Amino acid sequence: MVGMDRVRRELRGSVLALAMVAVATVVVYALTQSLEVRRGSAVYLLPVLLAGWHLGLIPALVAAVAGVLWSGYFFFSPYYSFYLARPNEIVNLLLFMVVAVVTSHLANSMKGQKELAQRREKEVGDLYAFSRRLAAASSAADIYLAIEQHLASLVQRKVVLFGAASDRDTKAEHGALSQRVRDAIAEVQTGRTLATIVDDGAGDIWLVRRVSQKNADFGVIAIDLGSVPPDAIEEVRKRVDDVLSDAAATLERLDVARALNDAKMRSETELLREALIGSVSHELRTPLASILGAATVLSKSPAVAKDERLTSLAGVVRDEAERLNSEIQNLLDATRISREQIRPRQEWIEPQDIVNAALERRRRRLSGHHVSLDMDSNLPFIYVDAVLVEQAFGQIVDNAAKYSPPGSPITVAAKRNGRDIVLSVRDEGAGLTAQESKQLGERFFRGARHATTTSGSGLGLWIAKAFVSANGGKIEAASAGADQGTTVSIHLPFATPASQPEVDADD
Amino acid sequence: MTEANPVVLVVDDEVQIRRFLRAGLELDGFSVQDAETGADAVRCATLTPPDLVILDLGLPDMDGSEVLERLRAWSNVPIIVLSVRSNETEKVRLLESGADDYVVKPFGMAELLARAHAALRRHVRVSTGEPVVKVGPLSIDLAARIVTINGARVMLTPKEYRLLQLLAQHAGNVVTHQFLLKEVWGSPHLHDTHYLRIFVRKLRQKIEVDPTQPRILLTELGVGYRLVAPEGAVAAAK
Repeated sequence: MVGMDRVRRELRGSVLALAMVAVATVVVYALTQSLEVRRGSAVYLLPVLLAGWHLGLIPALVAAVAGVLWSGYFFFSPYYSFYLARPNEIVNLLLFMVVAVVTSHLANSMKGQKELAQRREKEVGDLYAFSRRLAAASSAADIYLAIEQHLASLVQRKVVLFGAASDRDTKAEHGALSQRVRDAIAEVQTGRTLATIVDDGAGDIWLVRRVSQKNADFGVIAIDLGSVPPDAIEEVRKRVDDVLSDAAATLERLDVARALNDAKMRSETELLREALIGSVSHELRTPLASILGAATVLSKSPAVAKDERLTSLAGVVRDEAERLNSEIQNLLDATRISREQIRPRQEWIEPQDIVNAALERRRRRLSGHHVSLDMDSNLPFIYVDAVLVEQAFGQIVDNAAKYSPPGSPITVAAKRNGRDIVLSVRDEGAGLTAQESKQLGERFFRGARHATTTSGSGLGLWIAKAFVSANGGKIEAASAGADQGTTVSIHLPFATPASQPEVDADD
Repeated sequence: MTEANPVVLVVDDEVQIRRFLRAGLELDGFSVQDAETGADAVRCATLTPPDLVILDLGLPDMDGSEVLERLRAWSNVPIIVLSVRSNETEKVRLLESGADDYVVKPFGMAELLARAHAALRRHVRVSTGEPVVKVGPLSIDLAARIVTINGARVMLTPKEYRLLQLLAQHAGNVVTHQFLLKEVWGSPHLHDTHYLRIFVRKLRQKIEVDPTQPRILLTELGVGYRLVAPEGAVAAAK
């Protein structure tokens, strides 16, 4: 079939070449008649060149021979005879034939190079796009999608990926395949063979192989090659191999295999943990909400309200419920931090707003202390997650109230210090020994002096530190020593005044 | 408030929570109906339209926000949402979809009552067209657009007034950043919370005794602002 095509093409070319020679003859004839040009044999070079360039070697040779014979026939004596008598005609003939060979060869190689260049350009473009996608891929699913789409564009047919632990659902696609292809996929998946070629029964050839020859975890890919001739399969197969070896290398390098396994394991433990956190938060907090709510209703009910002792008891229930709640919150926060799930939602905020919110929420707990405020007006705005910073600051306030005697003063300040906003809490309580200062803020650390007298989990300051550092700040604690009081401060950068937000003039 | 006791519909699947809410609300002069599920709540609200709804978000049959939407489809009854802590995004979303205010679990009865009364008062104010909102020394005449502190006139720029007006219309209830930004500066500035920070600072300097410790215009971190509950609501809450 291919041979027939070729003969037909050469025949068509030769006919065209002869036509061009005929045209050249007419031109030469016109030239010799009108301009008295003696010999126009050079004109016959044109058909040779054109045929060589566009039609190939055989039409060019046909043009060369025809040209020489024609010019001999028409323009050289003996006229109207194909007999080549003169040496220069022989030379012409040879020359024409050399030109034909050289031009067609040149044209051929130029064309070949051009095609090659275009194909390369497309391939490089595709590969570049592919590798860019691989580089940008953040999950195995992204990588698989990239492989699938790149191969689909390469073979211009359907490509289906299976068994990769990607989160894609391939069941529907699987069902759409013919039984033979599905069998082949199963065969490759079970590892009986690494790659196979199968006819799907409907005239299409499928290439089924592992994504990676080395690692079964990366799954199986099935590529519809269409109705390709057997000798073309090998070529497509090689190109697919190239792409997949690149992709597999990327998958290996990104350590996706382990990640896939880990993800499987993690998702299970994660589920367990999430369920646990969910149930802890719900199961513990729901009764707490009832206890706390009921206590506040009780304290307002006429029977209790007129009896001071009962009111104070209701107050105890409420305070303890609140404390329990904040401990549960700490546990939840600690889990959240361990899972690195703090994503600050930053916004511009007035530093005093954070301090005020933290104090307001703890008004009852602070009622036993003498709290004084020292806040600069017109502090620069800070760009932080106000809720996280408030929780951190509240924790510090809680600690101050917890580790200083009732009735003692607590000073809360919000100041500007260089490029930082400093929110600080100073108490006149237990203070810190040098050793305690060092360990302060470690997870579960509790000073030995207070372990028996004051309750706590040792999580509070650790959480506060995590929340503050998530906002680009730091916590510092200073104390002159045991029983000398403590100052704990949050330092938050506010950057330069130039970066402070501005609004156009009012209205 | 008026002739009969206001009816409050409590929607919560936890029986203990319903019990204390019923006690607290009845003690405060409400007449209480309750519903365990979202479907129940919608049915109940349709049969006997309540004056106030207290809606828990964790319902067994449908998402609290769905109940909210269903109620809002035909009613502008004040709705107070009971939410869990540390989910500011959700609070904002619920406020945007029509909740009047929220209380974070666990909460004290006084807090819930303050929110409830503020929402009720706003409802009454809107329906009766009562023009003056009084918050402590601050008085805002919404009809005459006059703001005074202890009788002395406070001069505000148009934007400052607009901001205060919106807060006064919702006095006692939280108003989200997004709502304020949209109403004062328009939709393109929906995320420019710093505009608000700057104007609130200016406003506080004019209406607060100590702008660093505001008593009137309060910040709800991550959510919005709240003008403290006007007189009456405060008294009832205490």
